[in-house]
Amino acid sequence: MSLIASWIGNIPDFAVPFALAALGLIIIERSGVLALGAEGLMLVGAMSGIGASLMTDGSTVAALIMAMIAAAVVSQLFALMVLIMRINQVIAGLALVFFCQGLTGLCGTLMNWTSRPVSGLSDLSLWPLSELPVLGKLFIQDPVVYLTPIIFLLVVLVLNRTVLGLRLRAVGENPQAADAAGIPVLAYRCAAIAAGSALIGLAGAYISVLSTKMWLADMVGGRGWIAVALVIFARWSPWKALAGAVLFGCIEALIPQMAASGIRLPQYFVFMTPYAVTLGVMIWVAVASRDNSSQPGALGEPFIREERR
Amino acid sequence: MKKLLTGTLCALAACAMTTSVSAEDAGFTLKGPAKIAMLYISPRNDGGWTQAFDEARQRLEDDIDQKIQYVESVPETASAIKPTVERLIQRGSNIIIGTAFGYSDTFKELADKYPDVAFLNGSGTTNSDNLESFYGRTYESQYLCGMAAGAASPTGKLGFVAANPFGQVNWTVNAFAMGAQQINPDATVTVIYTGAWNDPVKERAAATALIDQGADVIGQHVDSPTPQIVAQERGVYGTGHHRDMSEFAPKATVCSSVWVWDRFLAPELKKIMAGGWQPAEHGALLSMEEGGTDVSCCGSDIISKEDEAKIMAARDELLKGDKLIYAGPISDRDGNIKAAKGESLSDGELWSMDWFVKGVVTQQ
Repeated sequence: MSLIASWIGNIPDFAVPFALAALGLIIIERSGVLALGAEGLMLVGAMSGIGASLMTDGSTVAALIMAMIAAAVVSQLFALMVLIMRINQVIAGLALVFFCQGLTGLCGTLMNWTSRPVSGLSDLSLWPLSELPVLGKLFIQDPVVYLTPIIFLLVVLVLNRTVLGLRLRAVGENPQAADAAGIPVLAYRCAAIAAGSALIGLAGAYISVLSTKMWLADMVGGRGWIAVALVIFARWSPWKALAGAVLFGCIEALIPQMAASGIRLPQYFVFMTPYAVTLGVMIWVAVASRDNSSQPGALGEPFIREERR
Repeated sequence: MKKLLTGTLCALAACAMTTSVSAEDAGFTLKGPAKIAMLYISPRNDGGWTQAFDEARQRLEDDIDQKIQYVESVPETASAIKPTVERLIQRGSNIIIGTAFGYSDTFKELADKYPDVAFLNGSGTTNSDNLESFYGRTYESQYLCGMAAGAASPTGKLGFVAANPFGQVNWTVNAFAMGAQQINPDATVTVIYTGAWNDPVKERAAATALIDQGADVIGQHVDSPTPQIVAQERGVYGTGHHRDMSEFAPKATVCSSVWVWDRFLAPELKKIMAGGWQPAEHGALLSMEEGGTDVSCCGSDIISKEDEAKIMAARDELLKGDKLIYAGPISDRDGNIKAAKGESLSDGELWSMDWFVKGVVTQQ
């Protein structure tokens, strides 16, 4: 029983970064820009969060905001490449990842931020939910965990219920039509990249500032790529992405709990599980829903005004 | 007895062979004055593996009275290693020291291409006439950490966060358990392998899970100090790896297995400079006596004076080379005998260790 309770309590640690990064990617990709750079932007967020926390003597809220700003600023380089210079978005996204890996590694070393612990945020108990048997630990978490579903709700409302969201989606579905209707396509895409990247930066900062409470070069460890896969598997729907992130968090959190309680499974099978589940879910999604209608129509295509398609 | 005899005969034969070889081959001699350069796998202040090398470099500079160049963050790919090393050689370096397993093949290639340059590689696997790989017998220092963990634990329920399940990690796990059982015969060690050397997210989850299940000392063989930091947050103890991790978790860390590469490299570099250097045929696997590892232990009052004396006595024996950790009788947790009384495990058996001693709890 204690196994299940502590398992459930550890799920958010894994699920929140996946969820926030996937949500950021959905915002960017709904505007028609294919974003593969999540891994790099998460590293930027992770490093600048720790940096800000160390420089400001542990103001965690300031650290998280700094991480969001830093990721948004770096993402403008990507925006310049794909929107103005119209470089292939796949290549620009990959280049962004490698650039950010080098940049964060260098800055972290020069500033001597590696392995220096920060205080993070203390956990908040939602009484009386925190007294529940088994599920109780789910309600003793840091504030960002409770904030995550609220952020999701806000983004969904903006995307589906506001003129702003309608225009953003129009830009992603058919930029020519949107342009004819007087919507500034590039400005919308640029704003989507900045806003989405800020969320991806927050995901990175969650890993470093709140979860592990320190910075190490390349510490995101491929989680940005899993977020990219999550978005495809969720068919660009925020709620499905959240469900996917929680599923992934469940598996990742279960592995160490089983090992600690002495349940003996083949080691390499355990290492493989998260990826096997990803493959399984992707195959199931591919078989179950054959329509591609949920994919933004202009995803990955650069916008050139009055160009014939 | 028969085995012992064959062993002695083999050793004698090996001695005879090396003498005959050295008679024909005078060993490696530098063509000019020594100029040393090091290649680091990660940034010099990474808090662990590379920082230990960088600290050794600073002590070496004093010892041999010469500056040592270094290049940071050289990844484990031939396309990155080759141009770096070739530029260093063009600028006059003739002793190149690497610090990564992944440099092995490229260093072998470079050693063949530049026979006048001496190559050393920490945690490498390749060797030749002018290339020697070296690594520490980390099970010796981790045995002492195990003793400290056994002494610090009220319950005898220990946890261990490890990277990947292969020989050089498994030997530290077993030694940690055997050390702990010297102090508390009933001590158990529950091990979680994260599958990565440097993933603080997984290390935190592993340490948290172990503490949730009742472990009150967390040992580690991963690169980051995360398990120590978690131990401190949760009010339990831990033992570190690579460097003295009380820097990160002063209240929790009771002992750390540390690298002391300069104790090996200083005499080895002097041998190279003196001429006629003979690299070890299968690489140098360094015991504490030869200078690979040591412990930084017992600064706090968590471990009783009596236990601390036991740990320090064992350390002295290891430093003098009087103690073998993997000496028989030793059997795995299912009762299969791995080394009978009077025997000990060979280096080959150590590298391929895929079994665990009594009291170790792992995945299969």
